[in-house]
Amino acid sequence: MPNSPVLTVPKAQKIMAVLWSSFLVSSLASILFFFAFDPQTALHLDISKMAAYSIGFFLFWLTTGLSSLLTLYFSTPLPQISSSTHIDEL
Amino acid sequence: MKSSEENHTTQSVPLETVQESLYAKREKIYPRETKGLFSNLRMTSVFVLLGIYYIFPWLTWDGRQAVLLDLPARKFYIFGLTFWPQDMIFLAFLLIMAGLTLFFFTALAGRLWCGFACPQTVWTEVFLWMERWVEGDRPQQMKLDKAPMSAHKFRIKATKHAIWIFFAAYTGFTFVGFFSPIRDLFINLMHFNASSTETFWVFFYGFATYGNAGWLREQICIYMCPYARFQSAMFDKDTMVLAYDAKRGEPRGSRKRGEDYKAAGLGDCVNCTMCVQVCPTGIDIRNGLQYQCISCSACIDVCDEVMVKVGYPKGLIRYTTQNILDGGHTHVFRLRIFIYGFLLLSLFLGWMYAISQRSLVELDVMRDRNSLFKETETGFIENVYVVKLMNLDEHAHSFKISAQGIEGLQLEVNQTSELKLASGEILDVPVRLIADPKQLKQRSTDISFQMQAIDAPTNPKLTTVEQARFLGPITR
Repeated sequence: MPNSPVLTVPKAQKIMAVLWSSFLVSSLASILFFFAFDPQTALHLDISKMAAYSIGFFLFWLTTGLSSLLTLYFSTPLPQISSSTHIDEL
Repeated sequence: MKSSEENHTTQSVPLETVQESLYAKREKIYPRETKGLFSNLRMTSVFVLLGIYYIFPWLTWDGRQAVLLDLPARKFYIFGLTFWPQDMIFLAFLLIMAGLTLFFFTALAGRLWCGFACPQTVWTEVFLWMERWVEGDRPQQMKLDKAPMSAHKFRIKATKHAIWIFFAAYTGFTFVGFFSPIRDLFINLMHFNASSTETFWVFFYGFATYGNAGWLREQICIYMCPYARFQSAMFDKDTMVLAYDAKRGEPRGSRKRGEDYKAAGLGDCVNCTMCVQVCPTGIDIRNGLQYQCISCSACIDVCDEVMVKVGYPKGLIRYTTQNILDGGHTHVFRLRIFIYGFLLLSLFLGWMYAISQRSLVELDVMRDRNSLFKETETGFIENVYVVKLMNLDEHAHSFKISAQGIEGLQLEVNQTSELKLASGEILDVPVRLIADPKQLKQRSTDISFQMQAIDAPTNPKLTTVEQARFLGPITR
């Protein structure tokens, strides 16, 4: 693919973009969620509150992290197809 | 300000080069140690900020931990103040004010935060001290890393990581100590008795400290910091920036001592590259303002040292403004500063006022849903309510409830004992109100409940009023 614009994002930046942005949003979501719902009285969980907060945070992080990962996946530049492009290059 | 994207979105680069840069290993930066005004300022800042972090959880206030964010009990203690879930708004405004303060100081003095106060900078600085203490200065560190693995190298590296890990683990322990009483936590951890959640967070935060301050360092600023991305929006030509005086320095070049360099067509920069060697983010400040520059001022300190040595005036690299570099004047008092300053000041005063006026009691009134009203044997009208009392003060109080709004309104409480509430206690009290039907002008009458501390009846913060309705039969 000569002369095609190529976005080069370092691998470290990709990893951090996924993990860090989802971490921030997950923290915010946990704060808002547990501000509204007490794990013991509202959710009837039979574990300590600290454990409930921690598990809740990681579940949020998993969710937001998956979303960030998909965003990264779908935002990679598409290959430029021209008449000279061979099928193996795709 | 140059955006980093210029370096990343390159048009028509051969694919091989691109792939090389994609998978190129990040080169480790070995910042050389500096001495001078800004290094001293940073060291002071490190001691003050980390002092606050490591010491605050051990302080006691009124018989409890002075700073404790008690998540299980859902209340935050910050010295004399106690915050409850309903006080969330105060914490939200505190964060907004912190953000505005950052904007204000950025507009005024550039990335002061990055170079001197950011936890990433502060902890990295301490990790750098430990690294220098074990491995030696920059040339020694580079030599060690180039050398093949040996027993000597292994011993030095293992010592460094052991010290880092110990420090990081203690940092993680302190972090959890802000949420779980630190003295008990310490004893529990020593006896391997701490809860799994606490142990987990000690390791999680410790690992993050070790990774961020030991390994990732400047990559956190470049890739992860949101502030670094938008700080240029707060910059203008009067903002203090760290800059190389190209007019004075160029053309750079080495020279012999005592040579008339001006006649030879050289500027003041002797091209010793010290400014590059001290830079913790590995940039060359002489290339102009860069997004990676965290304004740590290490290059100012080292360049001034070199300038003194060669006998030139200091300040080839210095804090200045774009306007001065362009030969103009700087205006400190400008619209941007006034707007940020005014917003900050008014928010702060409003916040302080709201905190000082915060009520320490709360009263909720719920009508009994089973019946609208009842007629008593004596022909009076009775309404039943559940009154929810909440004591948000730090001390226990006995309370009195009363109701007004109808002539001769009587209040009866089922509870015979006094309404004594401990700090943070919530009490549901069933209450009957009895009124003479002759006094009821319409079907629904507005009334009010009042809650008052018996031991401090004049304290307005321990008194509150809640509106309710009294229902009766339709009259005339």
